Amino acid sequence: MNMKDYSNGVHPTWCPGCGDFSVLRSIQLAAAHLEIPREKMAVVSGIGCSGRISGYMNTYGFHSVHGRSLPVAQSVKLSNKDLTVVAAGGDGDAYAIGMSHTLHAIRRNVNITYLVMNNQVYGLTKGHTSPVSQVGLKTKSAPEGAQDTPVHPGLLALGAGASFYAQGFSAEQEELVELIKAGIDHKGFSLINIFSPCITYNKTNTYDWFRKHLVTCEQAGHDDPENLTSALSVLQETQGLMRGIIFRKTGEPTFEENHHLANNPPMIEVPLEPTAEKFQRWTARFRLDG
Amino acid sequence: MSWKRTILIGGIQGEGVASTGINLMKALSGIGYYTYGERKFSSRIKGGNTHIMITISDEPVTCVTSNINIIMAFDHETIDENRHLLSEDGLMLADEKLGMEDAAIVSLPLTKLAKEHGSPLMKNTCAIGFLGKMLDIDRGVLEESIKRSYQRKGEKVVNENMLVLHGAYTTQVEKLEGRKGIPVLSQSKQEVMMLMGNDAIALGALMAGCRFVAAYPITPASDIMEIMSRVLPDEEGLMIQAEDEIAAVTMCIGASYAGVRSMTATSGPGLTLMMEGLGLAGMTETPLVVVDAQRSGPSTGMPTRNEQSDLAALYHAGHGEFPMIILSPSTIEECYELTIDAFNLAEEYQCPVILLSDFNLSLSPQTIEAIRYRQPDINRGVIAVEKDLMEDNEDAFERYALTETGISPRVFPGTKGGIHKVTGLEHTVTGRPSDRKGNRAKMMNKRNRKFASLQDQNSLSVEEREGKILCLTFGSNWGVLKTTVKDFGLKVDIAHIARIKPLPVDQLKKLFSRYSKIVIMEQNQRGQLAGIIKQELGFHDKIISLTKYDGEAFRTKDVAAQLERWCNE
Repeated sequence: MNMKDYSNGVHPTWCPGCGDFSVLRSIQLAAAHLEIPREKMAVVSGIGCSGRISGYMNTYGFHSVHGRSLPVAQSVKLSNKDLTVVAAGGDGDAYAIGMSHTLHAIRRNVNITYLVMNNQVYGLTKGHTSPVSQVGLKTKSAPEGAQDTPVHPGLLALGAGASFYAQGFSAEQEELVELIKAGIDHKGFSLINIFSPCITYNKTNTYDWFRKHLVTCEQAGHDDPENLTSALSVLQETQGLMRGIIFRKTGEPTFEENHHLANNPPMIEVPLEPTAEKFQRWTARFRLDG
Repeated sequence: MSWKRTILIGGIQGEGVASTGINLMKALSGIGYYTYGERKFSSRIKGGNTHIMITISDEPVTCVTSNINIIMAFDHETIDENRHLLSEDGLMLADEKLGMEDAAIVSLPLTKLAKEHGSPLMKNTCAIGFLGKMLDIDRGVLEESIKRSYQRKGEKVVNENMLVLHGAYTTQVEKLEGRKGIPVLSQSKQEVMMLMGNDAIALGALMAGCRFVAAYPITPASDIMEIMSRVLPDEEGLMIQAEDEIAAVTMCIGASYAGVRSMTATSGPGLTLMMEGLGLAGMTETPLVVVDAQRSGPSTGMPTRNEQSDLAALYHAGHGEFPMIILSPSTIEECYELTIDAFNLAEEYQCPVILLSDFNLSLSPQTIEAIRYRQPDINRGVIAVEKDLMEDNEDAFERYALTETGISPRVFPGTKGGIHKVTGLEHTVTGRPSDRKGNRAKMMNKRNRKFASLQDQNSLSVEEREGKILCLTFGSNWGVLKTTVKDFGLKVDIAHIARIKPLPVDQLKKLFSRYSKIVIMEQNQRGQLAGIIKQELGFHDKIISLTKYDGEAFRTKDVAAQLERWCNE
């Protein structure tokens, strides 16, 4: 299998040079490397430029509503554990309208991967402030510059108990492919925050800007992704401007394990027709001797 | 005519008033009586007044009576709030601990006996004892019922409760001597069950093969998620408590897309949040079952009071236009049957289905003839078979194929040859976004024609009583209406509607043409069902609204008075 097998040939709606192209290629490459059968993969996305990504995969794809990729992605996985489920969306999806879903998905630890294509601006609405817009970024909705403290995805995720948190950069595609593979391989919820520059509406956080500011885990002196204290402190020191696997905790029980689903057959295979014996059991409490 | 007695048990919330009533109902049901319990409680955990009003009869009961025969009070408020409802020969009983100095009130040593033989909380058992004795119920029956409900708490608690019960049965209360109990039953005992609407809905869902429930707690729908959280793990299913109602409904859409029958249950405030999900299910043609147990609105409204005011919003639910079904059960039995139907219809028509309940239907326990086991018909709708699938396994399966019926074959992720796209955007036959006008019109028309075959299915139940006028209603009002016309001997034909959307227009027209006056009875201010019917059918000059919106269920004597007036006009 190669990258092309995972492309449906639809030409993306993104601006030439958009960071999202690299994210799309990286998912396709990761799927090819992991040899995931096309029909066994489902990509679930939110709304915005990033949300279109599910439409370009030669796999099952569900383009949901703004902020809601995670509720759909989690239940798809819980309904059919044989699927590889990748949720994807933008910083508005993840850190504004869907923020609560992000935090609760982290807490649940369902075995899916979430890619946040973070460009720090609302592109599809034509240039509005995002919850991760840098203070001072001038947008159509903040002509004087954004004022609110930006959300810090790394500290937020680790604070909520993430079992896997990584950051990637569209311009570092090889690394991004490896991060996505590691995320998919991780048993539990993996969140990958990807700096994916918007070349049209964010003239501040450009490719060059990221090249200049982003450091690797190694450069930041963070050599053990299992070390939470170190992860938290480098995220703080770098103001989140780093890439690589920042935190990974193996052996953390997944939602499926906690809810006794791990050893069940996929839920879609459970027979629907109830037996008389089950009916007796379910109605026992309504009977007068129950 | 059948006889009826109504007992109201009231006290401080959190002290077991409702369970006392339910224990009594179970014991009575066990010896052949029919019971119906209407609960009143406040939106708080402990404190505040609560009561359960129980009507007992030799025939099925579907609502409480307007008057009360016995009030059993654990607090002052129970007497103050309800004594005006007492029948002429009615009796007020109160815990002597309350020190009620009122000649009309009989004080009983409820707390005293409870303390003597066990603990003060056993005053509930003590009350059951006095009531049982007064009603001439064999003590053994109550013993069994109390044993069952306390067995989990251990032998000591059971034994103490037995002593308290015995104490109540053997204590002589002068003012109660010589009072008649409830009439002895003549008919043979049927196998019965006692359940409330929410129980029946949960049971129906299980029977229909629902294996995934995502919900957010809300009164009066929470019982459904609670039951599912107990049962589903044993069925290799899952109840997931979502972070909000938006997540709950969207999770159900995901599960359903993946091929699992799923459901969420909520009430007005949650429903408002779920509008987004209804639209997504409508646009993506994903089956979805949502239970809406209505309560008083708007906003947080009165969370523990009855109302049927979500209907108008639901009928026009969501932005944009998409097909949706609204089913409206009016009895416990219908809660069970229509829930099974809801799952079939959702998959057959690939659209959201709302099961519209209300506070009183969802939360009023009732004795009914036992629901019998029958393998339900499970119709999963059109699902792609081998020949429909793409040999090359490319992303080109026509999930939204333009068929004559408007219904296109579904395929679940994981299926080879079925790869396609799903999107909340307008889309092509393979699910790719498209805003071309030709495609848009075709897709809108496709979705819109799905219900052609549903329109003819009967969804009205009519009971003819040589009436010149017809009274049509839905939900818990039906139980009140049915009882009203029977108890008051009214010559009014009555009907209830089980499917409000799509509205059975032809059936309604045919029915309405036979009457000069049609009363539409509903629990909201503006006559929402009447409004919908007028909008779809006309009949403006024939339709009159009978409404109530104070949070309390319709009462038979008020309904009778109003219907009589309209009959004689």
